[in-house]
Amino acid sequence: MNVFRVLVFLCAGLATWVCHASSGDIRLDKQLKDVVQAAPPAIKGPNGGVMLEDGETRLELAIFERGVPPEYRAWIHYQGEAITPSSQQKPVLEVRLTRLGGVVDSFTFTYKEEAYKSDASEGNASETEANNGGYWLGDGVVGEPHSFYVEVSLKIAGNTHHWAWESYEGRVAIKADIAEQAGITTTLASPGRIQRTLTAYGNLVSGSENLSHIRARFPGQITRVNVNVGDRVKRGQILAQVESSESLKRYSIFAPIDGIVTQRHANTGELALEQPLFSITNLTKVWAELKIFPQQRAAVKTGQVVRVAAAGAEQTSTIEQIIPTDSGPYLLARAPLTNVDGGSSSPKVSSNTSPWYPGQLVEAQIVVEEVDVPLVVDKRALQSFRDWTVVFIQIGENYEIRPLELGRSDKTHIEVLSGLNAGDRYVVENSYLIKADIEKSGASHDH
Amino acid sequence: MIESILRFSIERRWLVLSFILVLLGGGVWSYQHLPIDAVPDITNVQVQVNTEAPGYSPLESEQRITYPVETALAGLPNLAYTRSISRYGLSQVTVVFEEGTDIYFARNLINERLGAIKSTLPTGLEPEMGPIATGLGEIFMYTLEALPGATQADGKAYDATALREIQDWIIKPQLALVPGVIEINTIGGYTKQYHVTPSPQLMLTYGVTLGDISEALRDNNSNRGAGYIERNGQQLLVRSPGQLQSLADIENVVISTIDDAPVTIADVAEVAIGKELRTGAATRDGRETVLGTAMMLVGENSREVSRAVAAKLESVRDSLPEGVKVDTVYDRTTLVDKAIGTVQKNLIEGALLVVIVLFLLLGNFRAALITAAVIPLAMLATVSGMVQTGVSANLMSLGALDFGLIVDGAVIIVENAIRRLAEAQGRNGKNGKLALKERLEVVFQATNEVIRPSLFGVIIITVVYIPLFSLTGVEGKMFHPMAATVVMALLAALVLSLTLVPAAVAAFMSGRVREQESPLIVASKSLYKPLLILAMKLRWLVLSVALALVLLSGWLATTLGSEFIPNLNEGDIALHAMRIPGTGLEQAVAMQTLLEQRIKEFPQVEKVFAKIGTPEVATDPMPPNVADNFVMLKPRSQWPNPDQTQDEFVRELEAAVKLLPGNNYEFTQPIQMRFNELISGVRTDLGIKVFGDDLEQLLESAEAILKVVETIDGAADGKVEQVTGLPMLSIRPERMTLARYGLSVSALQDTVAAAIGGEPAGLIFEGDRRFELVVRLPETLRRDVASLGDLPIPLPNGGYVPLSEVAIIELAPAPNQISRENGKRRVVVTANVRGRDLGSFIADVKARINQDIELPPGYWLDYGGTFKQLESASQRLSIVVPITLAIILGLLIMAFNSIKDAGIIFTGVPLALTGGVIALWLRDMPLSISAGVGFIALSGVAVLNGLVMLAFIRQLWHERGDLYLSIIDGAMIRLRPVLMTALVASLGFVPMALNTGTGAEVQRPLATVVIGGIVSSTLLTLFVLPILYRMAHGREAKRG
Repeated sequence: MNVFRVLVFLCAGLATWVCHASSGDIRLDKQLKDVVQAAPPAIKGPNGGVMLEDGETRLELAIFERGVPPEYRAWIHYQGEAITPSSQQKPVLEVRLTRLGGVVDSFTFTYKEEAYKSDASEGNASETEANNGGYWLGDGVVGEPHSFYVEVSLKIAGNTHHWAWESYEGRVAIKADIAEQAGITTTLASPGRIQRTLTAYGNLVSGSENLSHIRARFPGQITRVNVNVGDRVKRGQILAQVESSESLKRYSIFAPIDGIVTQRHANTGELALEQPLFSITNLTKVWAELKIFPQQRAAVKTGQVVRVAAAGAEQTSTIEQIIPTDSGPYLLARAPLTNVDGGSSSPKVSSNTSPWYPGQLVEAQIVVEEVDVPLVVDKRALQSFRDWTVVFIQIGENYEIRPLELGRSDKTHIEVLSGLNAGDRYVVENSYLIKADIEKSGASHDH
Repeated sequence: MIESILRFSIERRWLVLSFILVLLGGGVWSYQHLPIDAVPDITNVQVQVNTEAPGYSPLESEQRITYPVETALAGLPNLAYTRSISRYGLSQVTVVFEEGTDIYFARNLINERLGAIKSTLPTGLEPEMGPIATGLGEIFMYTLEALPGATQADGKAYDATALREIQDWIIKPQLALVPGVIEINTIGGYTKQYHVTPSPQLMLTYGVTLGDISEALRDNNSNRGAGYIERNGQQLLVRSPGQLQSLADIENVVISTIDDAPVTIADVAEVAIGKELRTGAATRDGRETVLGTAMMLVGENSREVSRAVAAKLESVRDSLPEGVKVDTVYDRTTLVDKAIGTVQKNLIEGALLVVIVLFLLLGNFRAALITAAVIPLAMLATVSGMVQTGVSANLMSLGALDFGLIVDGAVIIVENAIRRLAEAQGRNGKNGKLALKERLEVVFQATNEVIRPSLFGVIIITVVYIPLFSLTGVEGKMFHPMAATVVMALLAALVLSLTLVPAAVAAFMSGRVREQESPLIVASKSLYKPLLILAMKLRWLVLSVALALVLLSGWLATTLGSEFIPNLNEGDIALHAMRIPGTGLEQAVAMQTLLEQRIKEFPQVEKVFAKIGTPEVATDPMPPNVADNFVMLKPRSQWPNPDQTQDEFVRELEAAVKLLPGNNYEFTQPIQMRFNELISGVRTDLGIKVFGDDLEQLLESAEAILKVVETIDGAADGKVEQVTGLPMLSIRPERMTLARYGLSVSALQDTVAAAIGGEPAGLIFEGDRRFELVVRLPETLRRDVASLGDLPIPLPNGGYVPLSEVAIIELAPAPNQISRENGKRRVVVTANVRGRDLGSFIADVKARINQDIELPPGYWLDYGGTFKQLESASQRLSIVVPITLAIILGLLIMAFNSIKDAGIIFTGVPLALTGGVIALWLRDMPLSISAGVGFIALSGVAVLNGLVMLAFIRQLWHERGDLYLSIIDGAMIRLRPVLMTALVASLGFVPMALNTGTGAEVQRPLATVVIGGIVSSTLLTLFVLPILYRMAHGREAKRG
């Protein structure tokens, strides 16, 4: 399928190719309206396009894609004269491209003066000579892939000339039973949701609002202690009684928060001075402090959903704060986690009901983006093909590349910006086989 | 001298006859020591230096391994050239030496050089020389499979890893001991490894790194000896065993402690038996398997070695675990037996035909027996000669033997002796018995009369084989043995007909010899005489017909088409299945499975198996996208249509597999494939090699050259060697950021390498089996390219940074392989030529490239390809063939003392060739070297016949003085020997010409040419020669 060897404009430096232009003729029978040629015309014109000839009419048609999106350019000669709008003969040129699946692109042509004189200095003298200063330009971009059935009609001097040929690239036919045996599966391109996530690691800390170090209001002797390390206390519960050294009055020390007593430095008879007597931690709510490195910083915002996981447990939360830290070049994104029973009596033992404890290292998936997009494809379907990323669409037993412009992606799907239509059937599993089959047949595409 | 030899042989006939016993003894002994193979070994003297470099990209393995190795080997004595390829994880340098270099000497030199550069290679890399084997080396292959339901000791079903373990530790060590086996090469399955797969999160939790884990494993896995203690006179050895024995042992290794609490491997990682990152796989009948290949040492007898391997494999079967099956898939013995069977059948049938003809035409049983006895005796002498000169018995070397030619000399002598004896007895009256002395004298006279022409004839046939010796390279290796064998056989026959034949005739032809002309001869004589007289009258007509025939066949020859080297049909099919570069091994296995299932559907196929990628010993370093398929066919009788030819079947197969997506194929045969891989070089008509430094530039120039070549008339299949297209995931460290985190580049690389590739952390021993212990990330994480950037890299002061923070991860194509030749990078542009003669095409290409392509300084071109071989071969032949012809002419002049007569005999050659060409044309065969050998033999026969005929006519003419009558009578008398030699020579070849067995394709053109040529040469000898002789000497005769 050396389709574009013939069709596409060659790089200006390759003078040799142009030298090879010859005046062989492709005479196509005018009686036959649709003359199908399996292969595209083999003769190249002075501009690197295909030469189409019929009687005294000569048409050179090329796809030009150097520096511009691919476009059709044509040079028309009648009775040896280059035809421009000022010529007597007014040509009507139309090119119809029928693509796999029956989509038809139509082009009409208008004359354009040569605009890129500077290219002549690149050394392709013969090209500039042949250009005659202008060309007929097709209206519109010739979309990739350049794989279609080409029909050309040219009306000039009262005659209509037809040419047609097959010009396929990136297309392959695989029999249905073999495709099934090979495990090629397809699905329809459809709208979908993209959930883009980002992995971060961090430690759990108890929030400062959930940690209380309790001191005696007035120095004095501790007369009674009600709780011990590991005890669960309620807010307002009396933890100890102290006899003030000044007033000699006994007063109670209450638990300021619900929680678990994690430290006790108080025994009956001891003096309560400046030191904290108890530490109470409430593990109902712990904070995951996730490290957000500079590369990730732009994507992470407060309010984003985050899935935190450790030791087999997972909890969904949202990022509430993003705070700087002086311990490293990262930010800390803080997301609260709740322990259902407010933390077990023994934080060292993780049970399913209360898996989170301060100091624990967690892995978090931050959902940095979640959007509904009009078209997604399965990531398994993607293959690289030349310098494109493509999927292969299936129509009957034919498969053809569709170069895609891609947007956002998550672990399984990727957004398609252009190149594919909703409802197209594309290959998901074993798409590599299609790529391998196309590339093995040596598809070529001149650039 | 000849006379004295003859006299001696006849006088001391019993002594001479007793030498038969010596000959027999020597021959039988030699036969037992004769190396037998299917085809001649065409491999050059080469040594492969393989260096496995895990993780090295093609570029790196070239820079750091290939280049130093190549440089070190440059300038070795007898070095012909070096070439190399550098691939992912492998560097292979192939060192080719001049023909005739002793391989052990060469390997010694290489070894010495490699030793010297060891320190300059990256640590841990060890260049190794490939096995001492040639293209014929892969003589035996077997596969392993587990029967359904079979279980290992621990209750699990056998998987590819378990089968590989059986191959590596049970089968291979036993087979490697078979004499003549140099290597057992394994491909397929997975080498068993112990894998420690830590979770990144747990590592962060416990603050340990991959490095810590492998260090802990290394530090906790050794036995240590501590000398000995003497206690009460007894010596006690002291040792401290600390080797890890089991999975549980590994799990309990302590990595570090946190607040006195030990962190063990089990805390952060899973420990399991895992799979290596393999480079090759094997499949059979659509399933993965383990494939073992026995490689034979250079110069061994392949049939014997493969038999020994097969026998050993039988006994190995007993030692295999229950439910594991070893199956032979390729055994060279089969092919060798088939090929030798073909040759034997041809030789025996040929010999029988010759004996029958002799008997029919001589009409004397004893005489026929004496002549026929020359056949086995010459054969035994030849075998002795082959053993002495190191020529192996194979299709090529035995392919050109024709007993008809061998007995020619003897036929002429015996025939004449019978005729003379009968005449003498007739003169002696009714009783006819001759006295002993008289008989001996007659025999002597009879022999002496014809010995000179027949000696000259045999010498001439021998001389015509000389051009074959001038072939070099692959052609030389194929045809030297053939020429050598034929020359030896002819010389043996020569000696025999000089000594043994007269002695035997003298000893055994004692009875009444009647001139019993067989009806056949009588009939032909009565037909010949009028025809000859008629021909003498219409001499101008006859001559012009002959000339026309020669011209016609000259034109026919140009239309025949040609093939340089005949293709030996091995009876099995090999095909390369090629996928696009960058195809993964598992993907390739999946594609291969489909392919094999399809091939297996053919009822003609017995089994199909394949090697994908590179085996353990990289004798054939293929990338994973290439698979060598072997399709073993059932015997023809089991085919649905036993008459289908192999070519037809191959076409059918090709059409079927072409439908499978993603594969390209190249059909060949097992031995041929191996030869091609080893000889490698450029196999197309034209190869333009671009040498230089920069790969991009090389590729650019190569592509420019291809474009130029493609525009030239006659160019076909133009291609640039595939050097790019290996997709590569680059993790490029960002130095500035790394520095900010206090990381070095190597710290980052260590982590990435260990995480993805795995880091070896020691060995686990089970008895004498040893397995690698590897630390690497769990498979699910390793394969997830998208989240590779999230991989935490531990920081020196604790904490971590994600990989994407300190490195750029990008997917980009990279060089697939780098080829070098003679120490320089090169890219080859190849093309074939269609519909145009090679010479002018090459000249055109050179001119156009000189004109259109401008190479940067430091880059140059070299032209290669088969056109070079053709060029040099035709150059050599254009010198050697005229010299040979001159020698023959010289010999003829010596024989006749007349340039005129020599010239007349010489005219026989073109007319003899005419028949050969026509025969080829009738059978639709191309010209080939095989056919060429036939033409060579033919020229010899033609000259011999002419010689015998003319010598006799001349003698008669000198005796009688009447030229015309002498010619007629002489021709009549020589009709019998001429017909006999023609018949035996052509009938001897008939079985060869008709045989369709394995290897017959080499002999068929040869036999066809000889048969066709002998017909025309006999006609020539019988009709044209007498005419020419009369015309040449007519004036002389009138004058006289």
